[in-house]
Parts: sequence; C-alpha cells; structure tokens
Amino acid sequence: MLSHIPDAIELVDYIDDGEQARHYQFRLVNINKPSEKNTNNNTAKHHWQDAQPGQFFMLNVPSIGEAAFTFTEPPNEQGEFRALIRQMGKLTTTLFTLPKGDILGARGPFGRGWPLEKINKKNIIIIAGGCGLAPLVNLIDSLIDNLTASQQLVLIYGAQNKQAQLLTTERERWQQHIKIYNSLDEINDQYTLVENESQGTPLDIVDIALATFIKPATTALLCGPEIMMNSAAKKLVDNGIASDDIFLAIERRMHCAIGLCGHCYLNERYVCKNGPTFSWQELQ
Amino acid sequence: MEIYHLDDLSLLQQHLLAQYQLYQVVKNDDKQCSWQQQTKERNEPLIAELPQSSAKDFFFAEHENLLIFNGEYFQETLPTPAPFVLFGILSCDLTAISYQDQFFKDDPYYQARRQQCLLVGLDCIKPCQQGFCPTVDAGPGVREHTADIILHPLENHQWLLISTNDKGTEAIKGLSLKTCHWHFLTQRDLTLHQCEQEFTDDSDITQAIDKLNNGEVSDSFWQQLAVQCLGCSGCTTLCPTCSCYGTRSITDESEDKKVITQQRFWDSCLYEGFQREASFHNPSAEAGKRVQRFWQHKFGNEFFAEFNRHGCVGCGRCEQTCPGVIGVHSVMKRINNNA
Amino acid sequence: MCADLVKTICPFCGVGCGICLKVDEQGQLLSVEPQQNHPISQGKLCDKGWSTAYAINSDQRLTQPLKRINKSFYPISWQEALTTIADELTAIIDESGSQAVGVISSARASNEDNYAAQKFARAVLKTNNIDHCARICHSPTVAGLKQSLGSGAMTNSAKDILETDLMLVFGADPTENHSILGGHIMQAHAQGTELIVVDPRVTRLAKLTPMHLQLKLGSNIALINALLHVIIKEQWFDQRFVESRTQGFEQLAKHVKDITPESVESTTGVSAELIRTTARAYSHAKRAMIFYGMGITQYVSGTNNVISLANLALTCGHIGKAGTGVNPLRGQNNVQGACDMGCLPNVYPGYQAVAELENQEKFSKAWGTKVTQQAGLTSLGMTKAAQSGDFRALLLFGEDPVVTDPDQNHVQSSLKNLDLFVVAELTMTETAKLADIILPAASFAEKDGTFTNCERRVQKVNQAIAPLGEAKGDWQWLQALAKEMGSKLLNWQSSEDVFNEMAALTPPYQAMTYQKITDNSGLQWPCTNETPNGTTILHQQSFPIGRARFICVNQVDIDESTDDNYPLLLTTNRLHFHYGCGSMTRNSPLLERETPPGVLFINPIDAKALNINHQAPVSIKSRRGYVETRAMFSDDVPVGLVSMPYHFKEAPSNQLTNTAQDPVTKMPELKACAVVVAALAKDQVPKTIQQLQEGK
Repeated sequence: MLSHIPDAIELVDYIDDGEQARHYQFRLVNINKPSEKNTNNNTAKHHWQDAQPGQFFMLNVPSIGEAAFTFTEPPNEQGEFRALIRQMGKLTTTLFTLPKGDILGARGPFGRGWPLEKINKKNIIIIAGGCGLAPLVNLIDSLIDNLTASQQLVLIYGAQNKQAQLLTTERERWQQHIKIYNSLDEINDQYTLVENESQGTPLDIVDIALATFIKPATTALLCGPEIMMNSAAKKLVDNGIASDDIFLAIERRMHCAIGLCGHCYLNERYVCKNGPTFSWQELQ
Repeated sequence: MEIYHLDDLSLLQQHLLAQYQLYQVVKNDDKQCSWQQQTKERNEPLIAELPQSSAKDFFFAEHENLLIFNGEYFQETLPTPAPFVLFGILSCDLTAISYQDQFFKDDPYYQARRQQCLLVGLDCIKPCQQGFCPTVDAGPGVREHTADIILHPLENHQWLLISTNDKGTEAIKGLSLKTCHWHFLTQRDLTLHQCEQEFTDDSDITQAIDKLNNGEVSDSFWQQLAVQCLGCSGCTTLCPTCSCYGTRSITDESEDKKVITQQRFWDSCLYEGFQREASFHNPSAEAGKRVQRFWQHKFGNEFFAEFNRHGCVGCGRCEQTCPGVIGVHSVMKRINNNA
Repeated sequence: MCADLVKTICPFCGVGCGICLKVDEQGQLLSVEPQQNHPISQGKLCDKGWSTAYAINSDQRLTQPLKRINKSFYPISWQEALTTIADELTAIIDESGSQAVGVISSARASNEDNYAAQKFARAVLKTNNIDHCARICHSPTVAGLKQSLGSGAMTNSAKDILETDLMLVFGADPTENHSILGGHIMQAHAQGTELIVVDPRVTRLAKLTPMHLQLKLGSNIALINALLHVIIKEQWFDQRFVESRTQGFEQLAKHVKDITPESVESTTGVSAELIRTTARAYSHAKRAMIFYGMGITQYVSGTNNVISLANLALTCGHIGKAGTGVNPLRGQNNVQGACDMGCLPNVYPGYQAVAELENQEKFSKAWGTKVTQQAGLTSLGMTKAAQSGDFRALLLFGEDPVVTDPDQNHVQSSLKNLDLFVVAELTMTETAKLADIILPAASFAEKDGTFTNCERRVQKVNQAIAPLGEAKGDWQWLQALAKEMGSKLLNWQSSEDVFNEMAALTPPYQAMTYQKITDNSGLQWPCTNETPNGTTILHQQSFPIGRARFICVNQVDIDESTDDNYPLLLTTNRLHFHYGCGSMTRNSPLLERETPPGVLFINPIDAKALNINHQAPVSIKSRRGYVETRAMFSDDVPVGLVSMPYHFKEAPSNQLTNTAQDPVTKMPELKACAVVVAALAKDQVPKTIQQLQEGK
C-alpha cells in the first residue's frame, strides 16, 4: 500500500538567499529514535537516504497542506536535509512565518530523478532558469566531485535580474571547477555586466556555451520555466544533441505525489510518478 | 463458476442482510434512482435502473479524512466500514469499479472499503436511454471478473444466480439453491445478445474514437467546443471512472488543543485552477486543453494500453448532466461532423 | 454513506434548480446531486450548486448569538440577545418614533421569512422601512415593467426557450449567472434557434453567435430606439397587436422617427447595418424572447432601459404567447419572492400599494393592528438617514451590503453610526463585523419553506438537516423577538402556517398550498381560483393595466465619463463560480481556487500601454476609492473598458463604483464609472482593502 502519511520533521534553520527565497534545513524527527511508530532499528539505513538527485519530497505545512520541493541536500544518516524554497503561494507564505523548532511533515523521496547512468562521464550542458537551479544543486556537486580529465561541464544560469539570482555560494564554489554563464533578463542603467554575464535569456547564450566545449556536448540537463526549456531543447537538437540525451525537470501542481490525485498530468503521464525528469524524446 | 436457479429473490436478500449492510438502487416518487440502504423490514424490489450517482462514492469517498496531525506526528485515519453488499449493481458501474480497483490498487483508504464489499451484479436485458455499454465493452451483461455474484432475470420472476468466485460462493453458503444446467448460460448469452442488438446505432461514437486517436481533431475544434464548458464539475462528479481529487487542511481549535485534519475531496480536471501553480503558471489555462484532456482520458489509446480498456464505460451520465450540452453523445457527434 | 436524499431547491440564483441533499445516518450533509426530473434543471446543476455542501458545512458557520463589546464579539444566549434587541428597539421607538427603525430582509431567505420580516416591520415596529437587495439588482424591472405592462416579473417561462425562434440576450450573462438557463439557451442555439447578444463584453454566448452587438457602456436606449425606428419605418411591426393590445404607439413612432441607425452609430459603437439586421431578425421571427439582466438595470437610466425593451417587444407583438416575452433574469434565488412578499417600502405582499387607504385597511384588519400610513425608506434611504442620525436601529439578515452595495465607505460609516445594528447570518460577513448583535441563521438546508424563482415558480424547500448549533430560521427568531417586545402578532407553529396566512392576503398566491406546490413540482403565479394550476405565460389575453403602454424614453449617458485623470471605464461582472458576496461559494476549496481573491479583467492592449503583465498586481482608483488586485488579460473586454467581479471582500469593486442613481428606483449606476489603473511593483502582493484601510 502507498502511504499518504508524512514523517514529522523539525524546522531546524533557514537562511535567506536572493529575493523572497530561503534555504531551509529540516530534520526527520523519528529517524534515529526507535518508537512505536518507527520500528526500524538504529543501524538500518532509512529509506530517505535513498534519495537521488532530482527527486522531490512533499512538504507538509499542517495548517495549509502539502506542496512538492526538491532537495538541495538529500537526507543524510541523521535525517537532515535541505531545500531551497521561494515564497510564492499560501503554503510558502505560511512557512516563511514559522519559527525554528516547529514540527512539520515530509513525505518522500518521490519520482524519477536525473538519469545518472546516462549522465556519467559525459560532456554536459546544463541550462537552468531562476529557481530551476535548485533540483540541480546536489547533482552538480557530485558531478564536479567525479569530474574526469576528459569531461566538460558547462552551466548557463538565467535569472530575472541581479536580485533574483539564487545559490550564490554554490555558484561561487562551482566556478572553481566548471564554466558558468549567467544571463539576466533585466539590468538597470547603472549596472555594469561582469565577466560571463550577459543581458537576455539563457537561450541567447546557448551557442556561446556550446562553443566552449572542446569535444561537443552530448548531454543536456534543463530546469526552469517550461517555455524556456522547450525552446532550449529544440535548439540543442538543432545543435546535434540527441533528443534522448536531453533531460528536462518538469514542475506541476501536486497533491499526492503517488500518482493518484491527477493534478500533475502531462498528456498520459503523471509528473510525480513518471517524472519529474523526462527526456525530450519522451515529451514529443 | 457455479450456476444456480433462484425462485425467490427475497431469500437471497434476507440471507445477505444477515451478514452485510445491503444497499440497493431505489426509485423515489420523482423516478429518481439512488443507492439506499435496505433493512430486513424495508426491502424494495430489485430494479435494473441506473442510479444518477454511481457507486464510486462507496470506495472513493467524496470527502475523506486522510490523517490527523496532533502537533507532534501524523496519524493515518483509515475507514473501518462494516461488510456491505451492493445488490443489483449494473454492468457499466461494475466495469467502472473494476477500473478503479486497478487505479486505486495501492490506496489504503479505497482498499479498506473495497475489501469489505460484496458485489452482486445484475444483467441489463433492455438498453437504457443514454447508455452505450456494448460499444465500450462494459455491458449490458455483467462481465464475470467484475462481480462476485451475477443475477440474471428469467421468466416468471425467476433468477439465474452465478457465483463467479470464492467470495461469492462464501456469501451464499447456507442458502438452499438448486444448481442448474449450463444451457441456462447459453440462454443468458442469447438474451444479452438480443439486448445488445436493441441498442441504437453507435457509429458516431466508434468513428469519433478513431478520429480522436488518429489526431484528426484540431485544437481549434476543442477551443470552440470548450466555450460550452461551464466548469461545473457535473461530468467528473457523476462519471464512475473519474478519480481526481484535491486536498485541504482543516484546523479544529475548539478545545484546548489544536488538531489538524487533512482531507481529500473529489476534484475536477475541468476547473481552470486544477493545474494552476502558486506562481500562476498554468499548463492547462485554456479551456480547450482541459476539455480535450478529459475526452482523451476516456477514449485515448494511450490510456487503453494502460488499463486494457477505455476509461469510458458507456453509462451516458455526462450527457444528461452537462448544462453546456457537451456530454459524450453531443461531443462524439460533433467530432464526427465538424472536427 | 448516504442514508437519505432530500429534495429541495438550490439556494444560489433565480433559476431555482432542483437539488437533492444527501444526508448520512448522523444527520450530516454529505453532498448533493441534481433532481433528474426537475421541470427546469432536468438533472443538471452549475458549479455553485454542486458545491452547496461546502457552504452549509463550513467551519466558518456562526453557531451562537454574539454580542460586540468594543471590537470583539462574545457569545451570549438567545434570551440575552432577544432581550437586548427588544429593549433597545423599544427605547429607540419611544424616543425617536418608528421611522427611526427598520428591517432589511433577504432575497436569499424564504418567502415565509420575508413575509415575516415585512409583517414584523409593519405590524410590530409600525414602519414601512422594509427593503431588500432587489434595490441593487432589479428594482428598475419592477418599476419599468409595472408602468409598461402592469406587472414587474418575467413574462414567460424557462421552457419557452425551447419553443422560440429567436433569443435576444440584452445586458445579461446567463451562462455565468444563471448557468442552467444559459445552458438551455446554448441547447436551443445548437438546435437552430437564432441567438443575438447585446453586451459591451464578449460573453460566452457572444462567442457562439455571429450576431453580437458590442455596444458602448450605457447606450442601451439609443440602440433600442434605433431598432424601433427601423421596425416602424419598414412597417415590420405587428399592427394587429399594436392596435388591439397597446396604447401610445403614435407618440412612440413620432419619438423615434429621427433616431436612425446611422444617428446612433457613434453613441452605441454598433454599425447601422448590424442594427438593421437585428431589427429585421427580431421583428420577423415568428416567436422571439428577450432576456435581460443587470446590464440593463444597473444604470442611472435603469427604469427607462427596461421600458425601452418593453417597447420593443410590444411593437413586434412578441409578448403573451409561448416562446416570447420580456424576461428579466433575476439574480438571487428568491429575489422574486422577496418582492412578492412586500419586502419593499411601497408595497404590501402581492404588490398592493401601501399608499392606498383600502390596502392599509385590509392589512390592519388582517393583522389585527393599525398599520402606519407613513411612507417607508429604501435600503439606501435607511443608510443615508443613519448617516444623519435620523435612522437609529436596523435589523438585517442574509445580506452583505458592505461588499455588494455601491460606495462601500459610505455604507460602512452609516452602519457604524447606528445605535443598534442586528445582523442574522450564516457566517461572519463584512457587514456582520459591524453589528452590535449577530444572530446565527439557519441555512436553506435547515428549514422548510418556499422560494419563488425568476419565472414566478413557487417551489418547496425541504429541511434536510437540523440547524447547526443554536442557529434559527429567520421567521422563528423574528417571532421570538416580537414576543419579547410584547407582541403576539407573529404567531405561527410552522412554515406552512406562515405560508397560509401570506397566501390568503396575496392575490397571486391565493390558490397555493404546500401540498399543491409539491404535487406540481412548483406553481407559477398568478395561481388563483381562476387559474388554479398557475400561469406559465403572462398577459395572454390582456394586461393587468388593460392595454400595455408605449412610453417614450430618451438616451441618458452614463453619469461619469472618462477624463485625463480617470481614463478607463470600469464595469462590474460576475464569475460563474462565485455568487454574490461570496460568503457561501468561497467556502468551497474548488471554487475558491478558481481565481485569486479579486481580479481585474483588462484588454491586453490597454495592459501593454500601462506596462501591466498578466496576473500582475495592479491598483485601481476612482473618484471614491482605491483597491489593489491582480490583472487578468482578457480579449472579452474591449479596449478602454475594464471589468471587475464584485464577489471579493479583499478587493471590492464597490469601493470604486458610482452612487449616482436611477431617479425612479434609486438604483445606483454600478455598471459604469471612470477609473485609473496602474501597475504595482512586480513582487508586491495586492493589499486587501482591510490592509489598506488599516494602513491609513
């Protein structure tokens, strides 16, 4: 049987990042405390540790309901995990008012994450827009950790404007190892663009980014607004990347995350169960 | 499979009433049919009429508490219904239950109710007004795998009783029944075949299904059709296979401590807000897209592949309840004429 | 599981669809389903109807009387509530006289409740200060049709839609506001009935027909006069009907002689050709029906607009026959009934004029007390008099004027000025928040009674569940209050008793009983000894005033036009998934999800010029108020016109609307005022009116 029941989590900490966004740190409350509810013994690996990059969890803010978020750091042995959350609707607005120490709920991990077997050791172009960088964070970290000499990784990151850019610390860290291009939709008159920064959308830099590769990029990972991803995917196909080597992370409203409530449909598929990552080929 | 002859239907009803809560379709003064509980004292005649509301609410409740949160942890609130029988359920609705059994196979709430239920199916020997069950392989005769017991009317108020599985056999244990000859089954087939012949021409529907699956229905057709969708949720509410739901939290602070209940409730994919995200991004903002998805879900090959049948069971309820005159018959006709 | 299915009538709009309430063993309302064989709705409901259970079961329901002390409400007993109200009412009447007190009843409550309310006002309080919300929807209908035809109600029936050859929908959006009737119109159109839509907005029906006259706001009379001009000039009118059934045709013909289609092109924005085509189609149709709504009534020219439509129908003889008529689509489930019951200051039940001595004597005798001769105040009159301190105590039920009435700030300050303000409601509305005493009202599912729908069909409402908590039906608490004030004049054992007393005094209801209503699935008035089975079509042989009257009317422009400071026109509309002030529909998680709390529909061209994005936060300002909400791009509103639904207390359109009134009925011009719209910062969440006011 599927479970609709969240595990209790503690809101451990949060730090602001960009405009109206925060990194939240949560801790699964009962993971290491054997109790009537949790008969797992201490040493066994809990199922949350199976979380793969690109998978998501349902955050339960009890007085409001549930919504889907991705991990920026997956649950560790102690049951601690992180997520980047933007204040958007009722649930996140309420979350932003909650104090540290509050008990909330989480269900997961859910869905099909990034296809690691198809990504490993490949030359990869990553295109992310706005909050879309969040589901890529721990993947980029692990790709960098395992980067081989012949392998190249390039990231294009687009944001509305300078204030809306997220994950600055992470991007600074990655900058040491991989090439990053930033695009800004709007800049004000006084602002001077820094290196590898341009005005426009990520699409405008795809050609430049592809030219960075010594051996051509063979794989692409996309995450962000659907219109942007669709245009980018078409452009990448035109540039010779196979449609089954282009992967998109799709976002949908979700209530159950287990393929029942129907909200996240995408043609005949459900994003929660069959996604959230799909190859461009699958979406044709 | 076991076949019996039943002289007196009330014997079976009384027998089942001793073990189960018994629900049966009853017609009121206004000729409206609905599922009503029967008792030993109140026991109405069995009728082969389609109730306006299907039986899906018995398993997938219209509103249902999923869990409560007490401030520390979350607790499942599974229903614990007493054993019950749906007595005289028609083939289209049985097919829909079988469809939902598959969809909700791993849903604990659905299954908690479903496990407690005995399904006594009733063959239709006359076509109903809006129905087209033969077209979508859902009737008029009860499909064996969809019911535990099948009733088939014979002449002189006699009945053929077919037990299709152990659950059915267990339920009739202790009831004195005469086994009967298999040729009654042949006779049943004949009667049902004759009934099938009496259904009106279904070429509108079969042709429209083909057009739908051959990509011959344009986006602009759906857009124009969707002008008439008022987003009332009538079709999805009455459709026996529709299963979309929403969730909400209800906080009860009346006592000294706060209890939060999470509830799920029937939703409709035809509402504009169904897929709208907090960012206002809405993949199905256009009514045409939503209406198209609804019909694709009922008749599309991609769903047929998953469930081994169409999502539509041919009950015709959407035709009757749609204020915008775009129920199944109207839509299929328009697809044929205009798409 | 559902244990019982109770047949009753949907509590939302004036169509009066048949609904069944599903009740479980514990007496809880589970959900609803349509009545399959109801004469109008035939197994259909709109999204509001389907969501009824959410409104009734809402955890927001009031379950006990509340008393306000400073800014907070505290629960009190019914006895304490009644004593407090009775004492204060008596004191105020002693000090300031009966003109200082009044009652506003509800078009949502039953006929029985409304009859009791006007009797309470007239017999117990001794005042004609009794009114309800028809003031802001269809008072021009009552006034206009009364003058032209002699009766202010829908002349024909819903079933006529399937018997007509042409439907002329004028300033009405039936698929959104009267969805099931709108569905009948769509059905008839699909079967070949001609459909002509006259509306400044591209309504759903307008999208289905090539015949859409997208007239400029408030140019109805100019357009209708031009239609009449063509019909008369071309001799397309029904001469026999005009000669035998009407009077004043000569003057009308003279009046419109020079109003050519060309002469009104710029006023109306409709091409002369389209006007001619429409005139031809309407006059040549064998049977043609006019439907109209608040796009006709909510103007300073509301009454004259209604009169013009009557002129049009009379000229072509499209009245008094099946498939014809002048058919106002009335808003609330029982607005017809509330009018019929005499919840208007100038008439007793059955439209018997208060000013007539004979009627005063009839009611004095029937009620066993002398009724006052003094004229009563309208609801706006009461709020105005409250402002000046002349009006001191108001009992109000089932209405939310703070959200739905024009010029919200004025209403609010008037209500605050009252010495005693009592509100009976289902939930804590914006109006209830201003009350001194709040009484918990029983919902339609919790009471017996009758509603009268827009086609004059009186239908039986049946109790399905017990009143929630200590909630009471309206006539029950009015009766208790009368007793508390020492009056035994309201003395009934059951709703049926109330109905029977009313029917005996109300000629059109004369031959009705509960049993007959149930047996006939409702009865359409007049139902008298001569017409014991009711009347589906009015004016078949003659008009109540003998001959119908042609009345010449002139185009009156909207009161407030645009200028440099307020360059856009604002109109109001309704959304099909909400109803009135939203106090019921907004409890449904499904309906509430459909829009953000408040929207402004704006043409993308206007939006672009103002640098506004789809769904972006915007501000809207008129000469009277300021609100913030979200912009919704829509090609359904023409350039230069923006539109706002009035359901949302967070962003009430009535902060902005004009209070200029129809001189006859005092109907405010809710359909047109000048505004200025501006973009707010991109990430700003629109402030609710409550937040804006606290910020002040």
